[in-house]
Amino acid sequence: MSRLLDTMSTGFFRRALLEAVLVGAVAGLVGVHVLLRRLPFFVVTMSHATFPGVVVAGALGVSLVLGGFGAGLVLVAVIVVLDRQRVVADATVTGVVLSGAFAFGVVLASARASGSRDLTAYMVGSVLTVTRGDIVATVVLGALVVLVLAALHKELVFAAFDPQAAQAQGYRPGMLDALVMVAVLVTMSVAIPAVGTLLALALLVVPALTARLFTDRAVPAMVVAASAGAGAGFVGMVVSALWPVAAGAAVALASGGGFLVALVVRGLVDRVGRPAPGRVPA
Amino acid sequence: MLLEPFRQPYLRRALLQVALLGVLGGVVGVHIVLRRLAFLTEAVQHAAFPGIAIAFATGTSLFGGAVAGAAAAVAITIVLSTRPRVDEDAAMAVVIATFVALGVLVVSRRAGFQADLTTQLFGRLSFVTPGQVAQTALVCVACGLGLGAVHKELVLVAFDRAGAEALGYRVARLDAVLYGAVALAVVGAVQVVGAVLVLSFLVAPAATARLLTERVLPMMGVAALVGAVGGWLGLVVATEASLHHDVRLASGATVVLVLTLLFVAAGLVRGVRRLVRRPAGVGA
Repeated sequence: MSRLLDTMSTGFFRRALLEAVLVGAVAGLVGVHVLLRRLPFFVVTMSHATFPGVVVAGALGVSLVLGGFGAGLVLVAVIVVLDRQRVVADATVTGVVLSGAFAFGVVLASARASGSRDLTAYMVGSVLTVTRGDIVATVVLGALVVLVLAALHKELVFAAFDPQAAQAQGYRPGMLDALVMVAVLVTMSVAIPAVGTLLALALLVVPALTARLFTDRAVPAMVVAASAGAGAGFVGMVVSALWPVAAGAAVALASGGGFLVALVVRGLVDRVGRPAPGRVPA
Repeated sequence: MLLEPFRQPYLRRALLQVALLGVLGGVVGVHIVLRRLAFLTEAVQHAAFPGIAIAFATGTSLFGGAVAGAAAAVAITIVLSTRPRVDEDAAMAVVIATFVALGVLVVSRRAGFQADLTTQLFGRLSFVTPGQVAQTALVCVACGLGLGAVHKELVLVAFDRAGAEALGYRVARLDAVLYGAVALAVVGAVQVVGAVLVLSFLVAPAATARLLTERVLPMMGVAALVGAVGGWLGLVVATEASLHHDVRLASGATVVLVLTLLFVAAGLVRGVRRLVRRPAGVGA
């Protein structure tokens, strides 16, 4: 226990803890929109697409967040254009092209001297080395994402449930979809220093799914998901302070563990109590 | 220059390995493409990773670890998606996220883990052992026999699921055979090319072949050829770069990059073909 307190009193650990909790909260909230629009696989795709951008940024010595964001923006643009052309973006094509992009990043990184260490940091994060700048970026961009999503909340939820009706009322569902994709992209970019491109999925989808087990309403789901994400950030960091394991992976696994606990609790509640809201009793 | 590197026995083994993966991509990959199972393949490839990591840490069989990981992931996905509030996409996303995290966690327990992690995620094609090559050959034979035995039925289900059901075929059992073959192919390839790149090795050649032909058997032949040629070119590029230009390129990733370029090239060829020849009977 005293070892934990020693570690926790160091400056770099407190920075890391703050970063993990902030990223978890923002990602949890955005995750509710991801589930509403059935975008989990877009998040998987995005994690592959941002990777070469992150590697290029690392090679050029510019911010990893910017690199990931730039590459992800290209992907969002391609998806929006394909959608407008009414070309059905087949999962196979997406898979092939994005694995290719990922391989491109790996080849680039392997050509550098410090190859495997850099690669690891990009994919699974390196939360203990986050800087004050990373935290400021997380706070500013996270607040921006939350504000935009809050300002358009009604329209976003409406278009997610009934795109045709939204279109008929003069909204542009395509643009709203693109907005959510960009919000996901920004969130993933700020999460890269903390959990890397590969593990951001654990904070962008899992806390929202945990919340979904308990409520059908969007705003309460966001509150629960943000808390679950922040909690996963906190628990993961404490675990990594106690045992020598990769901090990003501990955060991701804490998020998965939270979902598992929620699943068990939900099952018990179903067994003893009344049926879940929105579910027709058999 | 194109053949010279393969005087080295280790590169000859790597070449044999990519040729076998090409055949596997031809046999299994075409079914993956026809049935649009790319995301299932993605989930299985990530799921095999912690299994391998745990097997590596405890010194047991890597192949057994990969099989156990993949089986656990498929089982969890099926159980989760029967929950009323969890759909299949979200279930697979949870499985991918959690299993990758578990793998990273296990690997990170070891000192100097970055190099180990890189190996397990991206493979070490140039360091493939004769045992691994033999194992891939076995997987090829098993998948070929299994899928070959029910080839006609699988193609029927891929194109007309309801029709196959109406004809009295047991579609669920055919699905099980196919999913089993996909999982076997993934775990057979994952140790050599790593948990992140398997998808490309299996799917990219088949997707390329589908752009060039409509018929299933020729598609398998073309896919196997594309896989083998892409593997050979990729190995040549990676070896040339490291021997003569002093640039270390990860060989597995270089092969995947070549396969992706072949896919894009085939897409361009098809686009040009469509421009010069309008299909008959299609308006608009």
